[in-house]
Amino acid sequence: MQKKKNKVLLIGWDAADWKIIDQMVDNGLMPAMKSVIERGVRGRLATLDPPLSPMLWTSIATGVRPFKHGVLGFVEHDGKGGVRPVSSYSRKVKAIWNMLTMEGYKSNIIGWWPSNPVESINGCMVSNLFQQEKKGKETMDVNNWEMPEGTIYPERIIEKMMAVRVHPHEITGNLVMPFVPEAVALDKKQDKRLTVIAKFLAHASTIHGACTELMETEEWDFTAVYHDAIDHFSHAFMKYNPPKMEGMDEDAYELFKDVVKGAYVFHDMMLERLLKLIDDDTTVVIVSDHGFHSDHLRPRFVPQVPSGPAVEHAPYGIFVAMGPGIKKGERIYGARVLDVTPTLLTLFDLPVAKDMDGKPLLDIFEEPREVNYIESWENIDKPGGDLVKLLKVDDAMNEAALQQLIDLGYVDDMKVLDNADDTRKEYLKNVIRENNFYLAKSYSSAGHYDEALELLLEIENRESPDFRYLIEIINCAVKTKRFPLAQEYIEYIRQDKLMKDDFLDILEAKVQIGLNNASSAVKLLDKAKKSFPDAPDVLLELGKVLTVMRDLEGAKMCFQRSISIDPDNPHAHHGMGLAALRNEEYELALEYFLNAIEKLYHYPQAHFHLGECLVFLKEYQSAIHSFEVVANLAPNLPKTYRWLQDLHETLGNSKEAAYYNLLVSKYRLGEKTIITGVPSKKLFEVLNYLKDNGLEIGGDIEDVFGSSIEITKPNWLVDYKESIVFVPVMLVGSLTGRFDYSFVYVEDDVNNSADFLMSLGGLKQSTYNEQLIDALEKQVRVVETWFSQQPNLDVLHINGIEDLKNPIIEKYLKLSFK
Amino acid sequence: MNRNKSANDKVIITLNGKPFDVPPGGSLGILALGNVGIKAWKQAKLKWEQEQNNAKEEK
Repeated sequence: MQKKKNKVLLIGWDAADWKIIDQMVDNGLMPAMKSVIERGVRGRLATLDPPLSPMLWTSIATGVRPFKHGVLGFVEHDGKGGVRPVSSYSRKVKAIWNMLTMEGYKSNIIGWWPSNPVESINGCMVSNLFQQEKKGKETMDVNNWEMPEGTIYPERIIEKMMAVRVHPHEITGNLVMPFVPEAVALDKKQDKRLTVIAKFLAHASTIHGACTELMETEEWDFTAVYHDAIDHFSHAFMKYNPPKMEGMDEDAYELFKDVVKGAYVFHDMMLERLLKLIDDDTTVVIVSDHGFHSDHLRPRFVPQVPSGPAVEHAPYGIFVAMGPGIKKGERIYGARVLDVTPTLLTLFDLPVAKDMDGKPLLDIFEEPREVNYIESWENIDKPGGDLVKLLKVDDAMNEAALQQLIDLGYVDDMKVLDNADDTRKEYLKNVIRENNFYLAKSYSSAGHYDEALELLLEIENRESPDFRYLIEIINCAVKTKRFPLAQEYIEYIRQDKLMKDDFLDILEAKVQIGLNNASSAVKLLDKAKKSFPDAPDVLLELGKVLTVMRDLEGAKMCFQRSISIDPDNPHAHHGMGLAALRNEEYELALEYFLNAIEKLYHYPQAHFHLGECLVFLKEYQSAIHSFEVVANLAPNLPKTYRWLQDLHETLGNSKEAAYYNLLVSKYRLGEKTIITGVPSKKLFEVLNYLKDNGLEIGGDIEDVFGSSIEITKPNWLVDYKESIVFVPVMLVGSLTGRFDYSFVYVEDDVNNSADFLMSLGGLKQSTYNEQLIDALEKQVRVVETWFSQQPNLDVLHINGIEDLKNPIIEKYLKLSFK
Repeated sequence: MNRNKSANDKVIITLNGKPFDVPPGGSLGILALGNVGIKAWKQAKLKWEQEQNNAKEEK
């Protein structure tokens, strides 16, 4: 008997958000979704930056980031001097349907954004412009509704696709009533909101009609359907959704408060029908590309820039999977839009490509799954793997679709356009520039800041400055430690008054943090906090810098405030955990690191600090697991391997310890002995004594605060050729993890240290300076905590010259004192 | 799910084994049925329009 084929149904709901779904499921309003959740796994799907749908849905269908797949933004150059909505021509890599075609699987692809013009896949394809009822500026009549060219493959299905289309003019009052119960009170001709609902509903019904028709009448292994309606309904009506926003007109609120809920109910009804069309061997996967703010996080205004409405998008979409071999009633963590295609390939037992940015979500399976890997799907030469060929596309349809994007606020209005060549050229130039901005954002969100910065500097135009580009330049400059460049741009913005000073203070603070001027950063952030008391950016930056300055209570207050504003912010939880870790509150830290990881699994720093926390709690095996996750997510962090080596040594796993020692040696730059201690006469005496005994010591022993050290330079310690270096105590925490260290710490009383420092400043000794003593005591606590929290570190505490004659010290310093 | 015409020529679809009368004005439930619902609704609308025209002519 022939084995039954596993099928996969992928349902895409643009902008679907758990906050709304959970509420509706709890109230019994989404029974179909409830049944899928109960019979399968659920999780949050992390979006990408920028959170723009055509880019995201292409990442979902390819498993790679936009800078690899080539779909950038909402519009593209049409090759004829104009622009058109982004099309399948822009995609440079294979989509899941190309891979399945090469492997002989049959697919139905309906409405995917962007999939126009359609591709000649093994199966059927209905493009995202198929439901378009407009031709140019005119709306086609219901009875004379042409099928646009390039929207259906193969041609033999055109007739049956035409039969299931719903025209917006066919949407009657009783179809709109469930969304707006008091619709009769509105003047349909005057109030465009009802027309908009009719249009969204007609488009969704058309896509659903095509999907159900193909599922019922065509043989298929994979069906993927994409609906944009939740996104469109949310952009138009989320402002009316309860709770009522401040300043919202009472009448408008009462009229439209149920529209978004209505959209979700309708999607649930469509889902119910799809579930009736599948058998028990079908896996159902439901995803959204991003979420949508529905509560107090709804922005008060939408910036009037291209793609401005994306500020309403929330960073997590939804992921649900149900089917044979998939866990039931469980949650998964750490899923990203990039992981969808690798997971689909795994469901078909097909190999995942190493050049994909996503990974298969193996946690969804009841039994462990073995994944096969290949280098790439791009160089596989099998029939059906070609990308879209140039087909005839319908210009009038493109024009209509472009107008729709303008209406939604995603693309600049072209009303200013006339037919003059210069104006058109200028518009096209701006479109290309905007797409390059999205490309740069895609680079920077993947950590490729150099590539992003190069591109941004190329497209930045002083004649028509765009604050978004300038902010991104400053952020990338900070990330790549090009602080003078960042400051140059801050100055430029300030002089030209392109942004409010308060915003600039936040950027300037980031530069000051990079330059290690923590107190200047705190001043700027405190000022910004007065203007924006609830801005997450300000609270997080301030929390981070206060952690560095070891004002741990102040830091915790910032992170706590940030968590109360947005409980889903992983960085706030991580910050809170780090402040607790530095305060040696390990249980508390553990809780927050776990929260951060639950909210964002691909967060190497959170896993790393979780690992450290577990070490201090003596949970060594769990700590090993955490550091292994870090090694997987961010393989270039040498300190991870030091911890793994240290932990395996502790547990007596000599083979593993040797393996990690080998990895450490790959990054190891050598050995250094560091002499440090609170600034004091005793420290001076020790350093001078060693020098007098012929020891070459790197570093300026007169520079007790390390002001001459270029702290912003990565691996600044490398500049010292000497194997023994004096490092001011406040810089100990910033030492690179690429050396093996031995520390000689010169102990002294903080009162002596205060006297010493005051004598340097010409002040009378023994004058009690409370602030200075507090600061010195804090510094001692910080360095001691740091010593205790490092893997494989030897620290020898000495009390003065006498102790130097200790044989261990002699060994450290490779010198014999007579 | 089947689509058929009843004795008095109303458009009826069979939903979960039970007959369902398709109103010419449609309903969200009909739209959510996808292909079957849309086709039946279009048919019901056509039928209703024909009846309206016939009634006008008879007057």
